[in-house]
Amino acid sequence: MVENRPLANLVSHLILITGVAIVAFPVYLALVASSSDPTTIANGQLGLIPEGHLFENYWKVLFQGTERSTKQPMIVPLFNSLVMALIISIGKIAISLISAFAIIYFRFPFRHTAFWVIFLTLMLPVEVRIYPTYKIVADLGMLDTYAGLTIPLIASATATLLFRQFFMTVPDELLEASKIDGAGPWMFFKDTLLPLSMTSIAAMFVIQFIYGWNQYLWPLLITTRDDMQTIVIGIQKMLYVTDALTEWQLAMATTILAMLPPVVVVVAMQKLFVRGLTETEK
Amino acid sequence: MADVRLTSVGKIYAGSVPAVKDISFTVPDGGFCVLVGPSGCGKSTLLRMIAGLETITMGEVRIGDRVVNTVEPMDRDIAMVFQNYALYPHMSVYDNMAYGLRNRKTPEAEISARVAEAARILELEPYLKRRPRELSGGQRQRVAMGRAIVRKPQVFLFDEPLSNLDAKLRGAMRVEIKKLQRHLGVTAVYVTHDQLEAMTLADMLVVMNQGVVEQIGAPLDLYERPETVFVAQFIGAPPMNMIELTPTKGLPAGLDGVAGLPLPAAGARLGIRPEHLGVEIDGDARIETRPGDVRLALTVEAVEAVGAETYIHGRLGGDGQMIAAREHGKVLLPAGTTRTFTARREHLHLFDLATGRRIAH
Repeated sequence: MVENRPLANLVSHLILITGVAIVAFPVYLALVASSSDPTTIANGQLGLIPEGHLFENYWKVLFQGTERSTKQPMIVPLFNSLVMALIISIGKIAISLISAFAIIYFRFPFRHTAFWVIFLTLMLPVEVRIYPTYKIVADLGMLDTYAGLTIPLIASATATLLFRQFFMTVPDELLEASKIDGAGPWMFFKDTLLPLSMTSIAAMFVIQFIYGWNQYLWPLLITTRDDMQTIVIGIQKMLYVTDALTEWQLAMATTILAMLPPVVVVVAMQKLFVRGLTETEK
Repeated sequence: MADVRLTSVGKIYAGSVPAVKDISFTVPDGGFCVLVGPSGCGKSTLLRMIAGLETITMGEVRIGDRVVNTVEPMDRDIAMVFQNYALYPHMSVYDNMAYGLRNRKTPEAEISARVAEAARILELEPYLKRRPRELSGGQRQRVAMGRAIVRKPQVFLFDEPLSNLDAKLRGAMRVEIKKLQRHLGVTAVYVTHDQLEAMTLADMLVVMNQGVVEQIGAPLDLYERPETVFVAQFIGAPPMNMIELTPTKGLPAGLDGVAGLPLPAAGARLGIRPEHLGVEIDGDARIETRPGDVRLALTVEAVEAVGAETYIHGRLGGDGQMIAAREHGKVLLPAGTTRTFTARREHLHLFDLATGRRIAH
């Protein structure tokens, strides 16, 4: 809408600012807490102005860990989470692209059955089939491994559906032109379909990276060793301390660190994201 | 260079009626063959069978000396221009043209020479680095042509390449395509539903209807001697007037002079092209009546003057069927007046009422 009404402008800005404040304030508070002295939070004296222990706290949490709870340097679970999120997002995109390609561009027996079986997995997320999945992963000896962490989460239909929908909008003539230009199926996939899917891939990467990064239940079940823990579990474990005060400043520092990679991914992919929304021509 | 030879070619989609039935013709080397017909007549299917994009269920397609029924599209030595151009959106104009050559492992120096040559011919030189979306419709069309000519194929296939352009550009590109094809001397098969395109481009016109060939020949031969009612009415605008003559039912009112025609007992259709209906204007005997001429009394309903010529639509005998006539210059007859229009004996076409085929007379 192209309108120029100062009052409406003011009101809409106020509403937006309020919304941003509601979302951003807790984050800000976590940032302030992560820069504070252990006693400040314990005494209930946390103010709104950051204190001077920022680098000290982050250094400590990254490379030394807490003194009273897990005593693990948090760089390890951060790294684990990063590996897990990357394997899940890349693995999922790779498998989905290939399966969507097969479903749309190849005529083979039970093609529709294959599609509907893939579709059915949408109704059976990891949480529903967690017991059998755990059993399989345990029997295959994949507990406490990256494979065990990621493979069950890679297998799901969302990305396949998205790419299937996208491939259906690609004009058939492009395939035919490729055939006449001497490109086989693999070259058509690599030279035409993949470049055209770049924006969808970026969108999928963002969604799946955050999905993988935020996993809680599954890593909780299949990891027991400290060096295989993910960051979300790391934070959770930090908070349980018996007969002592929780080191909130360190927990908050970990929280802030845990938020950074998804933010980086979103910011880095934003340009592609927007291009995907504005460039519709194929 | 090669001819394209079709022998009893047919296409049946699984569990459906035949889309194309028993088609045989040969496009001579360097010839320009246009397949024309209404939508759904099977012309695109036929072209796609020549291209290798559809399987051939019956008959045989030869390009040059080779039967290509089971040959992959890339190995048929053809190039195709699609209706929506089908340019690769993520590639530059240069890469669009070079892609097919690269897939054939052509040396890069040869590729750039061929693309430069095509760009020169098609006046695309300033746009080689652009993406297709940064080009106008006409430029995209030329890129699609460029992609076809850099391949130096034996046969060009065109699938309604001009139907996405506006009327003015379409006329200009039509001339370009014809010039280019002459210049390169490559055999071409061109599909269109536009009879004007078909008439102006073709050396050889194939009129199709409902999966079968109605008539094959030079465009003007088809215009002057249509073998069927369908061809007569499809080619030419406005279409040929068709008057049903059934001796048992009596002749339509307002029609005079058909007594000498060899009408079969079952009846016939009399075809008269609009430009063959001459009218007398205010006693000025533009038409000198001869024996055997057919005269139609038309009551004028509408007059369309477009400058160089005038289209007159009138009803035969006052309340009969609508007849269109095309006169040179300005012939501004007031609506409601009744005039006699004369058609020469040699300009009459007679078709069998039942079969729709031409009757010699």
